[in-house]
Amino acid sequence: MKNGRFPYARILPVLPSVLVFTAFFAVPLAYFFIISFWRVRAFQLRPDATLAQYEAVFLDYSGPLIFTLGMALAIGLTTTLIAFAFAFFCRFRAYRFGTALIFVTLLALFGGYLTKIYMWKTILGSAGILNSALLAIGLIDNPITALLYNPVAVVITLVHYTLPLAVLPIYGSLKGIDDIPLEAARDLGASRMRIFADIIVPQCRVGILSAFSLSFIFAAGDYVTPLMVGGPSSSMIGLFIQNQFGTRLNSPLGSAMSFVVIGCCVVIILTVAAALFAVTRRRD
Amino acid sequence: MTAHVELRQISKQYGAVRAVLPTDLDIQKGEFLAILGPSGCGKTTLLRMIGGFVMPSGGTITLEGQDVTRLKPEARPTNMVFQGYGLFPHMTVAQNVGYGLRLARVPDEERKRRVQEALSLVHLGDFGPRSIDQMSGGQRQRVALARALVMQPKVLLLDEPLAALDLKLRKAMQEEFRRIHSATGGTFIFVTHDQEEAMSLANRICVMEGGRIVQSGSPQDIYLRPQSRFISRFIGEANFFRGQRKDGKVTLENGLSFADAGKDAEIDCVVRPENMGIRLNESETLPADFDLQIVSTVEEVVFLGPYTHYKLATQNGERIIVEVRDQGQNRCAHPGAKALIGWRSRDHTVLTE
Amino acid sequence: MGLDRMIWTGFATLTVLFMMSPLAVLVLFCFSESPLLSFPIQGWTLHWFFAAFDRPGFFTAFQNSLIVTACVGAVSTVIGTLAALSLSRMNRRAAGSLMALLTLPLMAPPLLLGIALLTFYTSWVDVPLGLHTVIASHLVFTQPFVILVVSARMLSFDFATIDSARDLGASPLQAFFQITLPIVSPSILGGALIAMALSLDDFLVTFFTIGGNNTLPTFMWGMLRRGVDPSINVVAVLIMALSLGATVLGFRITRYRG
Repeated sequence: MKNGRFPYARILPVLPSVLVFTAFFAVPLAYFFIISFWRVRAFQLRPDATLAQYEAVFLDYSGPLIFTLGMALAIGLTTTLIAFAFAFFCRFRAYRFGTALIFVTLLALFGGYLTKIYMWKTILGSAGILNSALLAIGLIDNPITALLYNPVAVVITLVHYTLPLAVLPIYGSLKGIDDIPLEAARDLGASRMRIFADIIVPQCRVGILSAFSLSFIFAAGDYVTPLMVGGPSSSMIGLFIQNQFGTRLNSPLGSAMSFVVIGCCVVIILTVAAALFAVTRRRD
Repeated sequence: MTAHVELRQISKQYGAVRAVLPTDLDIQKGEFLAILGPSGCGKTTLLRMIGGFVMPSGGTITLEGQDVTRLKPEARPTNMVFQGYGLFPHMTVAQNVGYGLRLARVPDEERKRRVQEALSLVHLGDFGPRSIDQMSGGQRQRVALARALVMQPKVLLLDEPLAALDLKLRKAMQEEFRRIHSATGGTFIFVTHDQEEAMSLANRICVMEGGRIVQSGSPQDIYLRPQSRFISRFIGEANFFRGQRKDGKVTLENGLSFADAGKDAEIDCVVRPENMGIRLNESETLPADFDLQIVSTVEEVVFLGPYTHYKLATQNGERIIVEVRDQGQNRCAHPGAKALIGWRSRDHTVLTE
Repeated sequence: MGLDRMIWTGFATLTVLFMMSPLAVLVLFCFSESPLLSFPIQGWTLHWFFAAFDRPGFFTAFQNSLIVTACVGAVSTVIGTLAALSLSRMNRRAAGSLMALLTLPLMAPPLLLGIALLTFYTSWVDVPLGLHTVIASHLVFTQPFVILVVSARMLSFDFATIDSARDLGASPLQAFFQITLPIVSPSILGGALIAMALSLDDFLVTFFTIGGNNTLPTFMWGMLRRGVDPSINVVAVLIMALSLGATVLGFRITRYRG
């Protein structure tokens, strides 16, 4: 039972967390947003109120931006689809192995970000593990060079990285589904497909959506993966953003690019959410 | 002599919600008092104010002449058995019971002795080293009771102590509570929504409704002389007959009339089902002292073991339940049959509310 | 076994292989004699471990990682736990919106977080970059996990235990240290281990906020840029083993299931 005796004692302990959130997230992000309207002169940030950076983003970087969003969408959708099927298998079809498989997913979650990218580079490379294995068993005569340094390698690597991240929220919402309504639906004569569409999917929309958002946003904001396995044809926007801080020292432009990407991500996620809810709406 | 516990104009307000309206209540030493009411009537808030867990919005609480209104729970000579018990899962049974004594820095030797005494009192003498999750629901209830009793509280507070137990255990624990109350001679105040529990345990019942005490008295008093429609409905079952009182004479809507002193008003005449008589054969008559009689139609007969409930309707549509101590021998009573029902005027209560 | 079942089993096997095989291969190649990462493996050796440990800067990076992880773990555990306990006593709506706010950083791409913090530190507050800026930055995305894990535990917490303790004579502080903390401690420890695993593994935020220093992931990044030799596998496995160990232990302790 909650008592009404010490109201401040109950509010005070949350303050350090709120302070960290404000000082190292809200304020830096707000400041970072503000400087997207500033200019750089002689390597110094100068307060201003210009939209020039945004103009530059749309004029000079619309190609990479669209490519990035397309890639992120492909990665987000692929990941969500595989994650949903896998989580569904764990919850409804794997019986006693379900928890063990989820535990394996948890292990895969923390393999190390750089490690995973680097492993895909070595697996897919022309002298890499996959090629040498295929050569060794005689399946091919010459190494396949087309595996690495292309958009597909980026998709594979990022799907691999975000998959465990996406399985967990979907599995969480599938686990919350009670077995009894499913049996009741079968008792009432619903087919397996109807049960799936009418009962299971509507109950895990939030899980699906958070899985998609996580993988989509991560893919849209990543630059190490395209740098390592993407090759020249897959220059994603993160690379250009990072460049503004590494070599070009044009943080206003980097900031404008970041917020354009964030804005596009929000729009796309909202669209996907609306579509998901429209498709899975209960029909009478 | 002043009372053991005195509540004076005690009240509690949460924002715009008035949980407890200004209330007076005196509790004597050694009393076993039940605060009875439906959920949301303010009974738990009242109890928690006595325990110090809720700061009253107004009024004072006095314990043996000492004002404790502003004392924190740890400083009050009251102890409480919580709903759901609040046992410490990381301690053994003995550690749970001994926790309060340890805080009070009671020497080891004495603490062990008193813990053992308390455990024996609740028949858990051998369970001291067990962990809490090895205990069943009824046993946990006893641990919670021992943990409070070991502190030798001036007043023991019990918040819905039996709510989580099944019917059989509940009956057994009621027995235990009565025994422990007489063994310790303490003052017990307990809160419940179960009228049967209140009846069987308490020697005084306070019925609460909408944040105020609406009637206070012995169980017999409350049952036989309910002071409102609410109480008569809440405690046991009751038949209601609407009517008018004019010039010391009551006329019911079903046509019956009897003398009743009081001012002119709309009234309800309340009769308990077990105080009503019924005759199903036209040849039989009710005893002569059943001075109020009326013909009704049988709607349903429900056999309940030691007694039978006849559900009837009068001509003007009043629903009536008559409880008869028979074992369903009156097989001729089928729905639609005419029956003569009646009661003694000394068995009814006239409510003007 | 029906066709339906075979398809499902095949799919699940492939998914698990896809998720786990790169990590398994990595561990395998730590012990491979050949400097080339290719099959078939010629022979086995522990040479690469010594090579990794002998690299200039490795131990500094390792030490820095331990310092950052320990500090981030300690601070985010304390403030995250306090926040979770405080949230559990608020009304549902206030707690819900505050929780949504505090866990918002989990949705931000690490690159954005890294460059925003870099700009903030260098252009506005003008502090020198170093381990302290890394630690402060890591708190933002590690404290949400502590809050989530401890809050989940508080949902099933029996608040009557605290009332009981007060009733039996405990002061609020005594009740906190003798009752609340021991009951909730497995979840707190679990949250702490997950926070430490995240901090240890982080590359992007660290990269932008560390200045001239190195932790294990940025050290590994340097090795990657300079050309691959198998001692990098050892560093990777070291990061993986530490973060994995902490996580597995964390989930075990909290009995987290999905």
